[in-house]
Amino acid sequence: MAFDKMELKDVEVWDGNYAAAQALRQAQVDVVAAYPITPSTPIVEGYAKFTADGYVEGEFVMVESEHAAMSACIGAAAAGGRVATATSSQGYALMVETLYQASGMRLPIVLNVVNRALAAPLNVNGDHSDMYLGRDSGWIQLDAFSPQEAYDLNLIAFKVCEDHEIRLPCMVHQDGFMTSHTAQGVNTLSDDAAYGFVGEYKPMNDMLDFEHPVTHGVQTEEDWHFEHKARQHNDLMTKVIPKIQAAFNDFEKLSGRKYNIVERYDMDDADVCVVCMGTSVETAREVALEMRAKGIKAGVVGLRVIRPFPFFEIAEALRGVKSIAVLDRSSPNGAAGMLFNEIAGALYNADTKALLSGYIYGLGGRDLTKKHLVDLFNELQANADAGKVTTKLQQFIGVRGPKLAYL
Amino acid sequence: MAKKGWDEFEIGAMLRTFDGKIDDIAGTRQEDRAYSQNSSYTASVSDWRLIKPVFNKDYCIDCQFCWVYCPDVSIISRDKKLVGVDMDHCKGCGICVEVCPTNPKSLLMFPEQAEEETVIANWPKKDEEEA
Amino acid sequence: MSEMKQIKNLKEFSTSADRFEGASLLCPGCAHSIIVREVLNATNDDLILSASTGCLEVCTAVYPYTSWDASWIHIGFENGSTAVAGAETMYKVLKKKGRLKQPDRNPKFVSFAGDGASYDIGFQWISGCMERGHNMMHIVLDNEVYANTGGQRSSSTPIGSSATTSPQGRVSYGEKRNKKDMVAIMAAHGIPYAAQVSPNKWRDMVKKIQHGFAVEGPVFINAVSPCTTEWKFDPKDTMHLADLATDTLVFPLYEIIDGHELNITYRPKNVIPVEEYLAAQGRFKHLFKDEYKYLIKEWQDRVDEKWAHLQRREEARI
Repeated sequence: MAFDKMELKDVEVWDGNYAAAQALRQAQVDVVAAYPITPSTPIVEGYAKFTADGYVEGEFVMVESEHAAMSACIGAAAAGGRVATATSSQGYALMVETLYQASGMRLPIVLNVVNRALAAPLNVNGDHSDMYLGRDSGWIQLDAFSPQEAYDLNLIAFKVCEDHEIRLPCMVHQDGFMTSHTAQGVNTLSDDAAYGFVGEYKPMNDMLDFEHPVTHGVQTEEDWHFEHKARQHNDLMTKVIPKIQAAFNDFEKLSGRKYNIVERYDMDDADVCVVCMGTSVETAREVALEMRAKGIKAGVVGLRVIRPFPFFEIAEALRGVKSIAVLDRSSPNGAAGMLFNEIAGALYNADTKALLSGYIYGLGGRDLTKKHLVDLFNELQANADAGKVTTKLQQFIGVRGPKLAYL
Repeated sequence: MAKKGWDEFEIGAMLRTFDGKIDDIAGTRQEDRAYSQNSSYTASVSDWRLIKPVFNKDYCIDCQFCWVYCPDVSIISRDKKLVGVDMDHCKGCGICVEVCPTNPKSLLMFPEQAEEETVIANWPKKDEEEA
Repeated sequence: MSEMKQIKNLKEFSTSADRFEGASLLCPGCAHSIIVREVLNATNDDLILSASTGCLEVCTAVYPYTSWDASWIHIGFENGSTAVAGAETMYKVLKKKGRLKQPDRNPKFVSFAGDGASYDIGFQWISGCMERGHNMMHIVLDNEVYANTGGQRSSSTPIGSSATTSPQGRVSYGEKRNKKDMVAIMAAHGIPYAAQVSPNKWRDMVKKIQHGFAVEGPVFINAVSPCTTEWKFDPKDTMHLADLATDTLVFPLYEIIDGHELNITYRPKNVIPVEEYLAAQGRFKHLFKDEYKYLIKEWQDRVDEKWAHLQRREEARI
């Protein structure tokens, strides 16, 4: 091989972006086509620098827009090799057309999404608006709550999405700045161990196999389109979660780090719990422990897999809880929050009497403080004690002005 | 092609042109290629046609203008000789007739129902004015 | 490097084994597939192809059929060029890494797109591909209109043409803007080769395509593609229209090497008046009303001026 391996310490101090870039290097990604956007830029800068320093033997293509970035990723993936990129926010929005094309053509591409708000008004900080925008795009969506997880989930993403039974692109989400720019200790794998876990890229329907020419990106009208979309949905519904679970199991054997489709913290005997994503999970975990010291049996559920939505796993995780708060970090703009709705759907026919309430929080990088969460858990306990939701179903956390409450 | 259920085709709406491996496409004639049922070579557009070209080899000089300007790969040339018209793929546009330089033309358009033998027997004579 | 395919004459060209198949859904008499055949048959090397959304794309890959015998990809309207650029990048990497399944091949990377997909919506993507130096060729099938969506004007639609979004009417002669000079814009990227071609001049076409395949780096080709449906002429007359396009000098044939060396590659023996080109097409029919005849004169003047400009550039080697 015409590149050098890197000697990593067992624990490196990395932010989420650098952790993701290191994972791309260790996976020996063949092509990264990218366009810069805050806060995801350091990921692709990292890959570019690794290429320039001879630590990975691939090509970095700096294109002229995010739409072109994903377009080139699609062409490169269809040609038959390992492909990844990164983006955020407006860049993600510009990419959306091609997100559907990548998944519909069943091309395994890993997209690091460093979550950031969507304009207007313009904002560079973390919320989940971009993540929500892609939720129907047919991609697998994994969520990292910390730099460690951004590193691990990137390696897992390649293994899952390139599997010939899956062949679907995969997003690895992390929160803008809170994860992407916050350095923490990250337990590393050696280059050999990481690459051994991800495995060699195995081409399928590759354009560069000149002895088996393929046509990608056909037109299907009313006589074929529905079947192709149904096939993709079926594979997402039936094949992906078992494959992710298998990859989690393998990864635990390799690293000792255990991931779950739905992460549960202090949930075994919880009366009240918060369901959320991203860095908020870690804050909520800390507060839940503090609430337990005050006698409130609090727990936290974090979504590790956003798509395909873990319908049964989430219902199982919430079994026996009396009062649940679902936190959405994206303005629903005229509806209940996405996560609120998904969880309501998962619980509707489940054997539960749980009370469900929704909260919109953290837009544009607004902090979710421990105080907010203390108040929230107390509110949940009040709901549990009253046997009904004592507030409106949708409330806002941390916004100035007259109290907002709907539904 | 028969309509298939959602679980009966390859993922990604991907199509393969050939069954199995093909080593040298540009060096392999159509008749020697193993087209899959997904190649449009196996399909026909003959029902698009209202008029059809008839080839009269008696006047053909094998200039190959009709071959190069046919939009539908329907002029069959082998070893630099015009062999005939692929009536499964000809849409009856008439370009081949227009670009034919012989006098009389070696390709002419006739109604789809016309009998080839009859029209060749009654082929127009040399047009003195045009010559 | 593979050897360039020897094509001394049309008889020799006709021994090519086509890699584009019939029973596409293109209109009878469509010039797109004539151009595609001339391009594909100019080489025996393997091909990696794309098409941007448009007539060629929607008519050649309608499930469950493909008309392509080489690997082909379509993503969207704007990004066919970038799809090929991505594939070309992957080719370079896999070659470097020794992972190509057939390492001895010498594939050519070609994206096809209409004028709408090239002059308008895909402009930025093509510019990016040209600027980044991908070893690829972008070919515009220039029929000067959004034919696939039913005849809307593009920035390639010429003055006086009646398109559905620039219709001629009681008080309008149709399109008011002159078409943009895409070859000059692309050549200005400093790419090794840019050229204008026409399917009637197959030898000029093949020579330019082969030149484009031989150079390292991005190549831009603008191919005039007479559109029977939107230019409104009889399908049998496609090559006649192409002849008129080149011989009136409405579509002069030339090449620009390395962004500056301009060569005119075809000089008609008898230059035909532009009026004959306009008169042969329904889209210009209204120009022959008395009140619009001045536009025909302006057309001729514009074509003469462009021809003089090209000749001056050729002489000056700039």
